[in-house]
Formats: sequence, structure tokens, C-alpha cells
Amino acid sequence: MKRLGEILLLCCALVLLMGADSQDARFEQLGSKIMCTCSCAQMLLKCNHVGCPNSAQMIQQLHQQVNSQPNDEQVLQWFREQWGVTAVVEPATHGFELIAWLLPPIVGFSCLGLLVFIVLTWRKRAIAAGPANVVLDPHMEALRARARQETEI
Amino acid sequence: MPLLGSFCLLFALALSAYCFVVGIVGAVRKDFVGYRMAETARRAGMATFAAVTLAAFALVWAAFANDFSLSYILHHSNRSLAAPYKFAVLWSGQEGSLLFWSWLLATYGFVLRWRHKVDQRLVAITSMVLAGIQVFFLLLCNFVANPFGVEPGPIALDGAGLNPLLQYPEMVIHPPMLYLGYVGFSLPFAFALAALIMRYPGEKWIHITRRWTMVTWLFLSVGISLGAHWAYAVLGWGGYWGWDPVENASLLPWITGTAFLHSVMMQEKRGMMKMWNIWLIFTTFMLAILGTMLTRGGAVSSVHAFAQSAIGAWFYWFLGIVFVVCLTFFIINRDHLASENQLESLVSRESSFMFNNLVLLAAMFAVLCGTLFPILSEAVRGYKITVGGPFFNKVVIPIGLFLIFLTAVGPLLAWGSTSWGSIKRNFAIPFFSSVALGVGLIAFGMRPFSDMSHFYAWSTFVLCTLVIATITSEFIRGGLVLRGKMNTNLLFAIFHLMRRNMRRYGGYVVHFGMILFFIGVAGQAFNQEKELEMGIGDKLQVGHYTLTLTADNHDDTPVYESQATILDVQKDGRYYTTLYPERRAYKASGGQPLTVVANHISLQEDLYVIYEGQNEGRPIIKAFINPLVVWVWIGVIVVVFGTGLALVPNAVRVTVAVPAAVPAIDNQQDMQPAGVGK
Repeated sequence: MKRLGEILLLCCALVLLMGADSQDARFEQLGSKIMCTCSCAQMLLKCNHVGCPNSAQMIQQLHQQVNSQPNDEQVLQWFREQWGVTAVVEPATHGFELIAWLLPPIVGFSCLGLLVFIVLTWRKRAIAAGPANVVLDPHMEALRARARQETEI
Repeated sequence: MPLLGSFCLLFALALSAYCFVVGIVGAVRKDFVGYRMAETARRAGMATFAAVTLAAFALVWAAFANDFSLSYILHHSNRSLAAPYKFAVLWSGQEGSLLFWSWLLATYGFVLRWRHKVDQRLVAITSMVLAGIQVFFLLLCNFVANPFGVEPGPIALDGAGLNPLLQYPEMVIHPPMLYLGYVGFSLPFAFALAALIMRYPGEKWIHITRRWTMVTWLFLSVGISLGAHWAYAVLGWGGYWGWDPVENASLLPWITGTAFLHSVMMQEKRGMMKMWNIWLIFTTFMLAILGTMLTRGGAVSSVHAFAQSAIGAWFYWFLGIVFVVCLTFFIINRDHLASENQLESLVSRESSFMFNNLVLLAAMFAVLCGTLFPILSEAVRGYKITVGGPFFNKVVIPIGLFLIFLTAVGPLLAWGSTSWGSIKRNFAIPFFSSVALGVGLIAFGMRPFSDMSHFYAWSTFVLCTLVIATITSEFIRGGLVLRGKMNTNLLFAIFHLMRRNMRRYGGYVVHFGMILFFIGVAGQAFNQEKELEMGIGDKLQVGHYTLTLTADNHDDTPVYESQATILDVQKDGRYYTTLYPERRAYKASGGQPLTVVANHISLQEDLYVIYEGQNEGRPIIKAFINPLVVWVWIGVIVVVFGTGLALVPNAVRVTVAVPAAVPAIDNQQDMQPAGVGK
């Protein structure tokens, strides 16, 4: 079992080393988070508006920012400041907009915690009630089991 | 005819108001007079259907008669519009679509009231709830967005025509399907509220509404899919889902409806989750109304802006009233919803349903949060931020992956509790199949850790294999058990197995369809695209395709002007196909452009080419390679087929002869779903 774990760990490490992020990939990734501001309602790298007054300039700026800024969030922040908050289609990971990122996991995990709590409470109650309250007739139990099996309930 | 339509709308409002008010009186008075009043309310409800049908017919008639004295017809039709689209005028604008909504609701109500003998008292109160919803929509049709409003000034010779983007065969079907879905959820909602109001004993209301809910869910699924296909085939941006607020709005009730379809089984079979189910169906209905409000109200920016107006405030009020009514009756009668059973184990079918519901609700909340966050941002910070695809992909995809995992695990767990032995036995083959596929994909060159989208795609393929293996093993194990009992071959045994429990095995087919859908979606991670300004004879290389421009033609028809190219396509140096991407400008709509996508479909990938426009007389061509997209549409077809199967009644009613001698059964090993275990 221990050996199997080691092999799995090694495989994971190998797989992790297979990929390497490039500047092109970063450009593509960031480009898919910025919207063209010519009111075509398309992503910057998808804008197919011929003669678009903004996309060429924005794409050039994106190239420059990707080369000069090491942090993706800084690039997006630069575009927010330069072209307005609506230019970036992803909420910022700081300030008020952080709430958009935090709300789904907070609510999700709270619900999960609540669910586990309910299940555990039910189980405790079932254990506390104990089997003493239930008088089991083996013949009836066998019939019930067969009925459950055959009706797939 | 428009005068008749206008009159019918008013008459329908009076009838549905009568149905609602007298229905309440009939429900309160439980004597003979109350019964007679409820009967008149039922008949008034049925007459509402006739009145709204006449109104809808009058509007369609006006479209066919080119009656441009009506403002609605003037702005949504013209003389050269083809007949099917004239019919589609009914739902192509704000006023018409509200009338269409009213008509669908009246139709559902008519069927319900017609079949009132299922349970007269329950149907009477359900009918009253439906009438309340009908009153709201007819109020809108009569006083806020009247489709029979007359255009001031002289009558125009021709209309503005239908939006060219909507002149597409699927657009004739997509909105009615969506509306059938949205409106259809009114029925289970009305039944649930009625059952709560009258403290209806037992789960009969769920049995009555089960098929309604499934059919409604099916309509909504088809409606959403047709919309996605339309976006892919017509809008020409290379994708089919853009996380637009209105798309999200249609997804929200679909997610909670899906959760309801699953959790309702807990109530039917174990008498559990009654409160949850009631609120799930209430929420589904309210989300359907919210979806309509988002589409109509203009609260969020959307590509579906054609339907926006100041009507949203009415929906806010309606939504508030619905919530207060639901909450009031829930508080008054909540003791009626106490659970009959309790969960015995975390590793059981019940808990898998609960987790499934939790995950679906988390997905719904994430989509709702992203959709409404711009409104929150505007209220708090004074400006509206944009929340688009990247946010939704980051938040929803992990939830979706967990959901696929649960789809694999759930069916193999037994009701009550599952033993460790049975888990090991049932999961061994599916687990090793999926691990083998994961390793195989890496061995064949997939790099899941090079990019997050590739990791998601790889995880999707692995988890989908797990689901396919579990579904297959369910069918085969069940088939093997029956083959032994029936002395027949495996295929016939599987067929017979399905006929015994159509709902369960139809459900598995639906799961299989969803898996195909997810495989198609995962293909997006490997999309490629290239754009080039081309002259005659120029070549565009994208992936292993070479596109050669052989002609660039201009055409002028009475309806539109077009610019089209002919592209010869070679794949790996051999002739593959010829594509004809085109761009049209519709004259009636002031030259509004429309992209005619040239798409060559295969099971492996789509070669999707668009004519973007011209630069100094030279066409600009953009080509996409979209892998596995066709599996999205195949998945939807399988989902439709599976839902159809689940709707078919079982062929065999299983009876257990009580006096039969039964051998002792080891519960740990044998109380598993049929086909599981040995």
C-alpha cells in the first residue's frame, strides 16, 4: 500500500513537471478576460468587428503589459484603470469585488457543513432511539428485504 | 380582428380574476355552496383558455394580414417575411411573448382543469393558484404591454421586419420550448402550494406532478439547447454558451428543477426531505419568474436586449408577493412537512441525493451570484462591473466536476446504508477503467497540468469514463440477474429490465446523455482559431486544414445584400470539403449584418468558418477548429430520448406473494439496488 502511494506521488510529480506556462499562453488567457470596448460585446481576442477603433490598440497594450507585468491581476487592474471597470469581465480579487469570489464557496461550504451536521444529528438520534423500540419479525424482515430487492426501492 | 383580440384579453382577465377570487371562496367554504362555486371557478378557468387563444390567434392573424396599424406588428413584421416567421412574430417581442406566456399558462391550466377528477379538491386549489399567476400576466398584457396597441399617425406601408438574427428555423422553436419550460414549472409549483395550503396527506401530489415536472424539465432542456445551437450556428463567434445573464437566467430554474427531480425520489420512497422539496419547487418557480424579469426588466446588460423595458418593477412586486405567500403558508403548515424517516448512513443512496442537491444548489447560487453581482456592485459602488465567462468557468466547472463524480457514485449506493464490501465490489471496474483512461490520455500526449483548461478537460474525461462504466455495469449486472431468471439472452434481459423500471433506467440514459454533453464541452479546451485577410488563391492554415480562397462574390436580393466566398479545404494535403461562409446585410432592418457560418461537422471536430468582413475589398476569413462539439448536440438528443423513456409507464408491476417461503437474507450484502453486488 505504501509502495503504491509512493508510485502515485511520483506519477503526480512527473505529470506536474510536464507543463510549463509560456508568455503566449498568458497573453491568450488574459485576452479572454478582457472585453473589447468598441461595444461589440465580444472578448478582446474574439472581436471580429472590421475596422474596430479599439481592439488593435488594446491588443498591443496587452502584449506590452504581459511583457512588463509579472502578475496577471496587475495587468487586469491596469486595463480597468485605462479602459474602465467594464473592460475586464472578471471581478477583481481585492476590495468589494472580492465578495463575488468569496460568496459561492462560503455559501457552498456552509451548506455542506449544515448537511453534515443534519446527517450526524439524525444518526445520533437513530442510535439514541436504539433498536429496542423496534420489534423485528425475521419472516417479515425477509419479506421486506425481498420486496425492496424486487421493487428496487 | 385586433379589436376582438383586445376584447378577448380583457375578458380573459375578468375570467381568470373570477377563477381566482371565487376559487378562494370555494376553497374556504367546504359546504355544497363552496363546491358549486369552485366548479364555476373551474369552468371560468377553462373559458380563460378560449379567450386567450382567441387573442393570440388575433395577433397572428394581424401578422399574416400585415396590419401595420398595430404598433407590435409594425415593429416585428414586414410584408416579405416568410410565413413561419410571421407565426413566430407572436413571441419575438415583449408584448407578444407575454401574451404567448399567458396562452401557454392558460393551456396548462385548461388541461389541469379538464382532468380535475384526479383529485377534485387538490385540483380546485391548484387551479386557484394558477389563476392567480394568470391574473398577473393578463394584467401585464392588458395594461402594461398590450400587443394590440395602435401606432399613432398614418398607417405605414411596410413594417420594420423581424430581427434577422431571429430569422432562423431554430428560432421558431427555441422560444416556445423555453416558455413551455418556464411556464410549465407553474404547475408543480401550484400543486406544491395547494398541497401545503390544504395540508394534503401523503405524496400523491408528487405522483400527479412527476410527469408534468419531467415534461417541463425536458422542454426547458430542449429550449436551452436550441438557444445554444442557435448561438453557435448564427452568431458566428465560434461558441455556444457565453454566460450571458439571460442564458444564465434560463439555466437557474433548470438547475433547481434538476435537483427537484432527484430529491423528490427521497420523498416518494422514504418520506424524507419534504420541506426541502417544497422550497425547491417554490424556488424553481421564482427563478423562472426572475429569469423572465432579467430578460424583460433591463436590470442586467444582455445580448437579449431586444425585449427590455421598464416592466421589471411589476415582476419585482409579483416575485415579492409569491415569496410572502409561500413563506406564510410554510410557516403555518410546516409541521405537516415533518420527515417520516431519517438518514441512516453517510454512504447511502439518500446521502448521495442530498449531496447531489447540495452541489446543484451550489451551482445555482454561483450562477445567480455572478449574474446579479453587477446589480449589487452598482447599488454599493455606483458602477456596474462586468461578470463574464472567466468568472463562471472558474466557479462553476469545479462544481460541475464534483457533480459528475456524484453521478457516477450515486447509482451504486444502496438505500439505507452501503457496506464497504459492496463499495469495493461495485467500484473496482469503473475506478480502474477511469484511471486507465486518465493514464492513457497522458501517454497519448495530453498535458493536464500545462493549463487549467486542459486539467479540467482531462478530469472531465476521467470522471465521464467513471460514469459510463458505472451506468454500463448497472445495466449489465441487472441484465445478468434477469437473464438467469428468464432464460434469455443478455440484450433482451436488459430490455426487460428497463421495461420493469422505466423511470430508473430512463434516468440512467439521461445521465449518459449528460456525460456525452460534458465530453463535448470539455473539447473546448483544445479549440484553435486563425484569422486572415485573403485574396483569391491565398491559403489559411489552421490545425491540419488548409483553406484556399477560390471566389469572392457579391449578391443583391430583394431581402438582403450578401458577400460570400468559396473556400476549398484540404486536410493533411487531401481534398476534404468546400465551404461557403457568407455575410448578409438585411435591407428591412437598416442593413443589420448577419453571419452565415460555414461549418463542416465531424464526430472528432467542427471546422467552423466565418466571413468577418472586408478590408479594402479583401475578405477577412476566420477559421475555428472546435473539437468534440457535435457530442454536445448528440448528448442533448440522448437526454431527450432518456427523458422520453423515463416517462413511459413500467410494463411489469412487481408483486410479492406474501406466503412465499423466503430464505434468510444477509442485509449487508443483498439489500442493494437490483443488479448491484453479486
